[in-house]
Amino acid sequence: MVIVDQDLCTGCGTCIPYCSVKAISMGDGFVRIDPRKCTDCFVCVRNKVCPVEAISKGPLETFYEQYRHLLSDPTETTADTGVPGRGTEEAKTNDVSGRVRRGEIGFAIDMGRPGMGVRMSDVERVARAVTAAGLVLEPGRVSPLGKVLADLGTGEMQPGARDLFVLSVIIEGKCPEARAKGVLQALQQVSGEIESVFSLGLIMRPDREGEFSGLNILDGLDIPRPHRGKVNIGLGRPLAEP
Amino acid sequence: MTHTLHRSGDRESLKNDFVWLMYQTKGINDKDIAPKARVFIEAAEACNCINWGDVKSGNVLDIPADEIKAKLSDQSRLRGVFVSKEDVTQFVKRIKAAGLGISVVISGLLDQVQDICDEAGVKPHTINYSLGVWGNKAALPGDDILAVTTMCGHHQVSPGIVEKMVDDIVEQRATPEQAGRELGRLCPCGVFNHVRAARELDKMAKSRPETTR
Repeated sequence: MVIVDQDLCTGCGTCIPYCSVKAISMGDGFVRIDPRKCTDCFVCVRNKVCPVEAISKGPLETFYEQYRHLLSDPTETTADTGVPGRGTEEAKTNDVSGRVRRGEIGFAIDMGRPGMGVRMSDVERVARAVTAAGLVLEPGRVSPLGKVLADLGTGEMQPGARDLFVLSVIIEGKCPEARAKGVLQALQQVSGEIESVFSLGLIMRPDREGEFSGLNILDGLDIPRPHRGKVNIGLGRPLAEP
Repeated sequence: MTHTLHRSGDRESLKNDFVWLMYQTKGINDKDIAPKARVFIEAAEACNCINWGDVKSGNVLDIPADEIKAKLSDQSRLRGVFVSKEDVTQFVKRIKAAGLGISVVISGLLDQVQDICDEAGVKPHTINYSLGVWGNKAALPGDDILAVTTMCGHHQVSPGIVEKMVDDIVEQRATPEQAGRELGRLCPCGVFNHVRAARELDKMAKSRPETTR
């Protein structure tokens, strides 16, 4: 957790608006950090927002403290995946990795985003719902969430992780196109049961005719057709699936 | 990461906002990245890229470009922003011609990205479609704030600091351009569009009630 040196802090409050999750508040003459909310993103420390340098990084002693920091500070890199930020490549290298193939739909459920943060118990609730509907989650070697799941097949969280509050974490997985509508319906259901939010990305390859016909799974679900996206333009080599 | 996927705003606000990402795949094509990254940077600089960076060292709004270039390594992940469709198209043409074999992603309005692909002679290989925000949306800040904060998908730009920048503009402590750049400094990846942010901040400042201006 971020530490405030109470001998140095003047209580000017300059640091308060920089925190995305409102973990910093004014106390009696100096600012306080809420340990239940601080995600160890270190925005306040890294950008030297304190005029008297009263804010510093605290120790990250346990696995879960280090995990929370890793997911919240994009300048860090997840060791196993080799990817900075929240540690996943999803569609960005799909031309080379081939993680999502024709006939499959990938899901990137960006929990806590935009900017609200999320408790891992909320993440577990969503992970359980989508796995029950047929989503196969990515393992820990390619997706950091897998490291704190007790059971990848059911979305069950390790008990020690449930109370962690992180800036965001991505539930990543894929399923055959035929099951994707059921996963979306599960997300519609569970989205009314969580305290936080998620931003949803749907990953697919074009069919043999070059059309992204996988979008037809949205029909009848009251989900508007997307107008914004991230397009992998196929320049990576070697190509996994032309 | 999906940190450039869910930029929010209406079509008018999003139409001059394109992000590019350079991505190596671990264990497959992740060696000798620095010289390839230099080619990306040369192309970006030649095509009027307004902001770019390497998450491991920072962005050009905060750090001199030469410093970022000097720190390039196999772990570098470059990203940047354009405000013109024509400039992105030229950038993609250059990268395609260089034949580096590194994955490239363009994030933006889908019809515009399709135009860019057609003009540059490339085909979408995979698309990650944004289906927006789900869940407890009542707890989110307003759409005007989100249009700015979501330009840093890692949420290093908070709603509170956006509000403060609007205050600074209203009280003439900063211009919209200065405020936009200050926010961009906080996003280490270099995907923050400070030009669009300045427009959004200016709109927010002008919409404040007369008594607070």
